[in-house]
Amino acid sequence: MSSLPSAPTKPPLWRDIRVLRWAFQLLVLALVIAFVYWLYGNYQTNVARSSIPTDLRFLDNPANFTMPGNDLDQSQPVRDAFVQGFYNTLRVSIVGILLTTVLGTLVGIARLSKNFMVRTFATAYVELIRNIPLLLLLTFMNLAVILQTFPRIENAWLPLNLFVISNRGIAIPWFTGSGGILLAVLASALVLTWIVVKIRGRVSDINGKPARGLTWGLPTFIVVMVAGWIVLGYDWVLPFVDDRATSGGLRLDPSFFALLVTLVVYTSSHVAEIVRGSIQAVVKGQSEAADALALSGGQKMRLVILPQAFRIAMPALGNQFLNLIKNSSLGATISYFELTQIAQITVGNGSPAVPAFTLTLLVYLMISLVTSVIVNIVNRRLALVER
Amino acid sequence: MIWMKRNLFRSVGDSLLTVVFGSVAVYVLWGVLQFVFVTGRWDIIQVNLKLLLVGRFPEELLWLVSGSIMALAFWVSAAATSSQSTKEARPGFGRRIWEAFQRFGLLAATGLLLIAVSGDRASLVMGAMILGSIILGQLVGFARRTLSPLNALPGWIWHPLLAVAPIVLVALTLSQASLDLWGGFLINFYIAIISIVLSFPFGILLALGRKSTLPIVRLISTTYIELIRGAPLFVLLLLAGVALEFFVPSSMAPGQIARAVTVFTLFTAAYVAEIVRGGLQSIPAGQTEAGKALGLNTTKITTLVTLPQALRNVIPAQIGQFISLFKDTTLAGVALNVLDLLNVGTAITAQDDFLGQGLIYETLAFVALLFWVGSYVMSRESQRIEKKLGVGQR
Amino acid sequence: MKKNVAIMAALAAVTLVVSGCAATADDTSAETAPATTETVETVAVSSVLDSVMEAGVVKCGTRDALPGFAVLQEDGTHVGFDSDFCKAIAAAVLGDAAAVDMVDLETADRFTALQNGSVDVLVRNTTWTASRDGGEAATFLQPTFYDGQGMMVTADSGYGSVSDMDGAIICVAKGTTTEGNAALESSRLGLDWEVRSYDETELILQAFLAGQCDGWSSDVSQLTGLRSAYPDGAEALTILPEVFSKEPLAPAVLDGDTQWAQIVNWTILATIQAEEFGITSANVDSIAASTEDVSIQRFLGLELVSDDGSAVLDPGLGLPSDFAYQVVKQVGNYGEIFERHLTPLGLERGVNALWTNGGVLYAPPYR
Repeated sequence: MSSLPSAPTKPPLWRDIRVLRWAFQLLVLALVIAFVYWLYGNYQTNVARSSIPTDLRFLDNPANFTMPGNDLDQSQPVRDAFVQGFYNTLRVSIVGILLTTVLGTLVGIARLSKNFMVRTFATAYVELIRNIPLLLLLTFMNLAVILQTFPRIENAWLPLNLFVISNRGIAIPWFTGSGGILLAVLASALVLTWIVVKIRGRVSDINGKPARGLTWGLPTFIVVMVAGWIVLGYDWVLPFVDDRATSGGLRLDPSFFALLVTLVVYTSSHVAEIVRGSIQAVVKGQSEAADALALSGGQKMRLVILPQAFRIAMPALGNQFLNLIKNSSLGATISYFELTQIAQITVGNGSPAVPAFTLTLLVYLMISLVTSVIVNIVNRRLALVER
Repeated sequence: MIWMKRNLFRSVGDSLLTVVFGSVAVYVLWGVLQFVFVTGRWDIIQVNLKLLLVGRFPEELLWLVSGSIMALAFWVSAAATSSQSTKEARPGFGRRIWEAFQRFGLLAATGLLLIAVSGDRASLVMGAMILGSIILGQLVGFARRTLSPLNALPGWIWHPLLAVAPIVLVALTLSQASLDLWGGFLINFYIAIISIVLSFPFGILLALGRKSTLPIVRLISTTYIELIRGAPLFVLLLLAGVALEFFVPSSMAPGQIARAVTVFTLFTAAYVAEIVRGGLQSIPAGQTEAGKALGLNTTKITTLVTLPQALRNVIPAQIGQFISLFKDTTLAGVALNVLDLLNVGTAITAQDDFLGQGLIYETLAFVALLFWVGSYVMSRESQRIEKKLGVGQR
Repeated sequence: MKKNVAIMAALAAVTLVVSGCAATADDTSAETAPATTETVETVAVSSVLDSVMEAGVVKCGTRDALPGFAVLQEDGTHVGFDSDFCKAIAAAVLGDAAAVDMVDLETADRFTALQNGSVDVLVRNTTWTASRDGGEAATFLQPTFYDGQGMMVTADSGYGSVSDMDGAIICVAKGTTTEGNAALESSRLGLDWEVRSYDETELILQAFLAGQCDGWSSDVSQLTGLRSAYPDGAEALTILPEVFSKEPLAPAVLDGDTQWAQIVNWTILATIQAEEFGITSANVDSIAASTEDVSIQRFLGLELVSDDGSAVLDPGLGLPSDFAYQVVKQVGNYGEIFERHLTPLGLERGVNALWTNGGVLYAPPYR
């Protein structure tokens, strides 16, 4: 017989949780805005005192420097130099990510190998590389590998007479003609190959014989590429040593090479640990089931373990890819003309430092955000749909 | 022999792999041994050892550094020994020596190497005194556990009491020797420790902010975290090198080390925030619900229930972040011209006696050794802690 | 996730807007800056001289690894031509040549160190140019060394002149006028150069030794110093005859403090004047005791006895009256400093001689 509570009374304003929440948020917001405003005020005062420009007009000034690997003229504006730096950063990042995934996976699998020598080698590699700073590794790679091991241009190595390897770069045979059209041929070859593999898969589903996708797909690819090459009249250009430079072919900058190798070696040691952890995280039952089905070791790894392991590893891998992109900024220390090096050089040539570096930072932010969005999309596609 | 057959020569392909990798390993090891003992010229390290380890620290105040190290060693060993439980079974003496060897053997070997390289009696004395302070710490800890008057002191008096000596010495070192004179390996450690300590509260706040239900707070935290995590540390340091003074009143013009610490703190806070957020997410929802069932409000639940568990769970990840930060302090050397270990290693090759002789290999090898030992020992300790805490198993 | 996309979109928009609207973005503070600098000069925040006297040291921006100009020694001190001028400033202002705090600076941020007050004066073989005077808020003073930019190649490279070097790879140091000068020179001569630029001299040396660079371009004074220390011997290198820029190396102080600028200026001039008078660190005491020459007496801050009583010249610079004496006694005159550090490298006085010997060093009279 308890009395029903009367109509709920509203709590007083100063105890009403909704009011309190909003008051707190507005307080935090006010503090942050006040702080930013104080920073901005200091900035204005200090900048006015030192008569240093703070806008982006420096982007129109002539660059006054050139860089290897492109046709940038020194009278072109700084903006174009920044764009070239951006392309160079992308170049080393994309190739680096591809190579790291391959090498990291191999080393990760090697760490679980039954062969003692392979296992020890992989463990030593990972433990050694993971614990030294990247900058140290980069300085070492530049000095020991590029400058000591690779020969001088006069004594360049000419393996198979196709490549020219020296400490001024690696020259590879390249084609004459439009690169865009060749890319289109490559794309169509890939599409055709994919179609062939899918058709073979369907045929195999119907008549039960092995699909042999590779044996059909690879020749298709080769045939289409060669046909396109001949029909469109492409030709090879072989590099050769010409006085102190290499003519013909495509010359890969030695700093690009050193940076790429360092980034790949460093990041793959982290990737190897991630892959190893994710392989071990795949439920043991899967491995035993594969054994019960009499799958060979290679088939088991390829068809059962690795796909599941990658699903587990993907978020951590995405993180490592982001790290690789950000670490490419260290290329500035060995004169690879990526974004940070361009920023440093234009600042040395008289551009104002704060706007230049802020612009560089914003570009890196954009690259990072785009990459993490891509990784998130891949993640979601791969994620297990729980029943 | 059976072991060899099973592990090395399982099949033809296996044997081939063994032979290939084996020969590569032998070749590399031989080259390294030759470099270290035969062809390497290590006098550049010997002559510049002080510069490499402590930079341009004033000679007459070096005793402060050794004193601080001794006090810290004493504190750590006393605190560790005094908190060991007397109830659980302790392994025999021989086994304990073996375990200590496994844990600290590498550190001791490196210390001995440094003493050998420096070649003077003073460093031998210093090494002996550090060992002595560790043993003293063990004795004090043991006394605390067994002797009755000390046994009665509650923990919250005992531990601060132990910490007094090292804190006083470190503060004295900071006040007497201007920070701009610090350099070498010392400054790498200093920047790393200060940054992780300062970034810790900031990172926790950011993590809580990001998980908050208040939209504005969440927006501010997320923006900050994503902005910092998307930026390369090198570019942030370069920017701080030129920009920081514009944002503070001119009376507070920061020195190079202050800039480095600021950037590293802000940078690490974002990563610590992500780690703590991951820890918070790993706490089962049941904990929060139990707290609510007990009538605790959100703040109390966070501070008394979820946060302590989350922090305990992410200790290994935190240590990993610290190791990463420790290695990244080398970037401060290039970007802000702090005279850190790597910077000194490159600069000493330009001295009159050593210019142009390719001694960069010796210096880089020495720098690599110091960093490797530091990182490896720390990551092994973190694995040990992980095992002891049973993280992920309960 | 949605927040991620939103932030990315916002940032992309911001980046695009910011980089696309470069021409239209303007900053009123840049316009008003020239107008405000004048008023700031007379209302100095705190004069550098006061802060130096209070701190008891002169903070001198220098570098750590340039043979002949500034090299970091094992005991932490710096030895070199530029280092001696730092010490001279300390001797003049504080009376003690050791009261100097050498701050190693990377080339890329030497001016920012000056701007934010980490150093009081920059004596770091820096070239005096118009855009640095204007754009870096720096005031340049009496040049200590008139230099030029040249090119160094190996003797067996076969290059006899810069115009032979078409298609060559040139190494330079980052963040200096060298890059811009090299670029201008190559376009003037119609040559095609690939330029590699590094932060550290050691890296350039390694690249040059390994044959990665055909030529090393830098100030001739730097090249001479490096050539003298070359591991294969100085004859293995040739410095090509062309000098393709004027590089007067001068100390710099921050805009806005005229008194401090004049102090540094007259300290440098004192060393030149001392050489003109023939005063060295060895004979300065005996000359001070015995000289009858009024101008030398004035210079060394000695009392001048005249009919109206004795007086010591105080030109109102803010320096102690015997600053020149302290400088010469503790550091030396210009010739001594030059011979101590630069002559062993093989550098000739050349244009850096007194005006009486065919050079351009001419100190205004101290009266």
